Amino acid sequence: MNAQNGAETDNGARITPTGLALLLVGLLMLAAWIWLPWIHQPERGATLARVIAAERSANELDIQRQGLSLPPIAAVVALGAALWGMLAPRLSRALSLVMLVAGLLGLVYHLTFFLDLAASDATDLLSTMGSAFWLTLAAALVLMLQFALPRRVVAGYEIGKVLGNQESVLALGILTLVIVVGVLNPRYVADRNISEILQGNAYIAVAAIGVSMVIISGNIDISVGSLIGVLGIISGAMVVAGYPVWLSWLTPLVLGALVGALIGFLVAWLHIPSIIVTLGMLSILKGGLLLFTNAEWITGMPVEYGLSQQKPLGIPMGVYIMLALTLVAAWWLRNNATGRAIYAVGGNAEAARLSGISERRIVMSVFIINGVFVGIASVMFATQLQVIQATVPPNLELVIITASVVGGVSILGGTGTVIGSTLAAILLNTIRSAMVFINVSPFWLQAVQGVLILVTVLVDILRRRRQLIQR
Amino acid sequence: MQDSGQTSGIRVRLHDLLYSQEGVLLAILVLSVLLLSTQTDVFLTVDNLLNQGRLLTEIGLLALPMTYIIITGGIDLSVGSIFGLSAIMLGHSWQAWGLPLEAAIVVALLTGVICGLVNGLFIVRVGVPPLIMTLASLALFRGMALGISQGRSARGYPDWFLELGAGEVLGVPTQLWILVVAALISAFILARTVFGRSLYAIGNNELGARFSGIPVGRNKLLIYTFSGFMAGLSGYIFVSRVTTTRSDMGTGHELDVIAAVVLGGTSIFGGTGSIAGTVIGVVLIQLLKNGLALTGVTGDATIVVIGTVLICAILINNFVQRRRSGESVASAA
Repeated sequence: MNAQNGAETDNGARITPTGLALLLVGLLMLAAWIWLPWIHQPERGATLARVIAAERSANELDIQRQGLSLPPIAAVVALGAALWGMLAPRLSRALSLVMLVAGLLGLVYHLTFFLDLAASDATDLLSTMGSAFWLTLAAALVLMLQFALPRRVVAGYEIGKVLGNQESVLALGILTLVIVVGVLNPRYVADRNISEILQGNAYIAVAAIGVSMVIISGNIDISVGSLIGVLGIISGAMVVAGYPVWLSWLTPLVLGALVGALIGFLVAWLHIPSIIVTLGMLSILKGGLLLFTNAEWITGMPVEYGLSQQKPLGIPMGVYIMLALTLVAAWWLRNNATGRAIYAVGGNAEAARLSGISERRIVMSVFIINGVFVGIASVMFATQLQVIQATVPPNLELVIITASVVGGVSILGGTGTVIGSTLAAILLNTIRSAMVFINVSPFWLQAVQGVLILVTVLVDILRRRRQLIQR
Repeated sequence: MQDSGQTSGIRVRLHDLLYSQEGVLLAILVLSVLLLSTQTDVFLTVDNLLNQGRLLTEIGLLALPMTYIIITGGIDLSVGSIFGLSAIMLGHSWQAWGLPLEAAIVVALLTGVICGLVNGLFIVRVGVPPLIMTLASLALFRGMALGISQGRSARGYPDWFLELGAGEVLGVPTQLWILVVAALISAFILARTVFGRSLYAIGNNELGARFSGIPVGRNKLLIYTFSGFMAGLSGYIFVSRVTTTRSDMGTGHELDVIAAVVLGGTSIFGGTGSIAGTVIGVVLIQLLKNGLALTGVTGDATIVVIGTVLICAILINNFVQRRRSGESVASAA
């Protein structure tokens, strides 16, 4: 099947510098799969599963330390490679072959791992490997689909165009970082740490979805950080005061929508620039928060309130929420008339007005939607720990805006996707976690973030310039 | 926006003043001062007001170049971080590098200039939007301050160094003199020089300004560098006042500064604004903070009031300006 397609794919597939770089990354992945699982036990010549099972019966070993959690990350990579091989039909033959082989190798490795584990006396370990198992299964499915589906092929294609969108650059960045740091320190790719990375910034990603929409519409909201703090406190205070849990989860969403409606009204009807309205709102909310709580922390929430602490199928709740909301929002922005109108208003307000789009209505809806997303983010934020702090993490709004901007949302409005902003939020946390694991002082974190924004923007500007020349 | 010539000269002046942004703001300022002075005896005393002058200098110094930048349609979110980085460089170069304190002061000011220059170069030469560039450098410079200091503070400054932050000249806080002189010079440059007027032109129509032979790039580079320098100076004065150096100094200053400038009637879209308005904005915010604190309102409620005042002031001004432009249309007809 692949050989048949290969003949067509061959047309005009040239190796460019970017293509070469991609190929190197592919080879790196391959090396990682072959090397990583045996990295700790090269002399034993046994599969990792057998070694672990043997050691485990001998003495109680630390599962995290023994690199048992390497498979999950390899599974993620396998799934990513398989998906990419399928969704990017314009990949050159060499590259898609590398992807395919990498995905297959990963799959074979996982199957032997799980079979070995099932055959050994350590079957209970299978449950702790839940996430890896499901990911492997998904990767296998995608790989099979890849064989089954016919592939579209475009002649005269350049690999560089794969890098033409922000999302794939970010995904590649996350993947490379995970593999490189994972090789340096395998504990980085431990199950626990991976889910920590995904979960840690989930609320930022959710808030960034709303903020991205606001920015796409040509406005900005710098009050989100304070709003998250206020709504989180209100939610916690309600549940402690004895209100039912579902009401405490729902109220922030409603209040968020109301605050959004107020901001939207001031911006759309009274024509005050959004940066000023939200600047004012920022201090009103921040001051109100401290006034309301006297800077005291909220504790003693019931266990069932801890939404973010729940882990269905071994994956933290926040990850599900983040993924679901991102996909829904991405689909809505792409296919719904109102969603498209947001781009229209942000791209050219006058043209949008002339084509019958009510700018007021769109701006109003965008701020209300943003309020709801901020409400969801605040619940995720409030339920993360056993306590809710009365202060918001400083500069939270800037981290959220950073996620949007690094995700490819142009601050001038009219372009960007929420998938990009979610990937960027994950990337930010990947970097933060990586710095801990390769022993860089966390004091440098912000500097790295600054450089990251700068690099993203520079790449974006260069890309646009090149596209302009090509046109 | 000139009124019709039929009314007498004095009335026109009064009318203009009353209906200008600065006039409206001045009225709000006077009203709130009167209101606050009835609530407490301490507020309207020379000592208290001079002390407030000491406190508002740092924000005031940042607000002057910010006015320039916002008039050109740009923004500088990184001032708080430059402020912090300069303060850190002052303490670090003095204690860790062993430089004499005089040289450390120069290092701090230079740090500010370099940071501002970096912002300006990226904005002008590479074409990064100011909001994004300074958002990036907000994180970058703050991160450098954290990384260089590793979170440690520097203390133990000699007495002569603290003179600037705590001393007085002719009964007025030393740094207030600096602010007054800086404000006067900035106001003169903005209102009376070709350079100053060109900033308005850039803010109103950058392309038009370029075609009329205004060195847009050079002027923008200058004002961002100026902003960096003032942030360095402001950071130095702050260290001198609080007698210690910490890497989180100036966090959130950018929002205070922008609030003051916008409150002072500078349009966030560029093209309009004045130093006088900015100074009134800075004073209004500081006096509100102080007056409310003296009347027993907690600091947290004060922030709420300031946010509300910001939104309301813009609302009132929008309303007044609309009525005014309506009037001038009517009188022209």
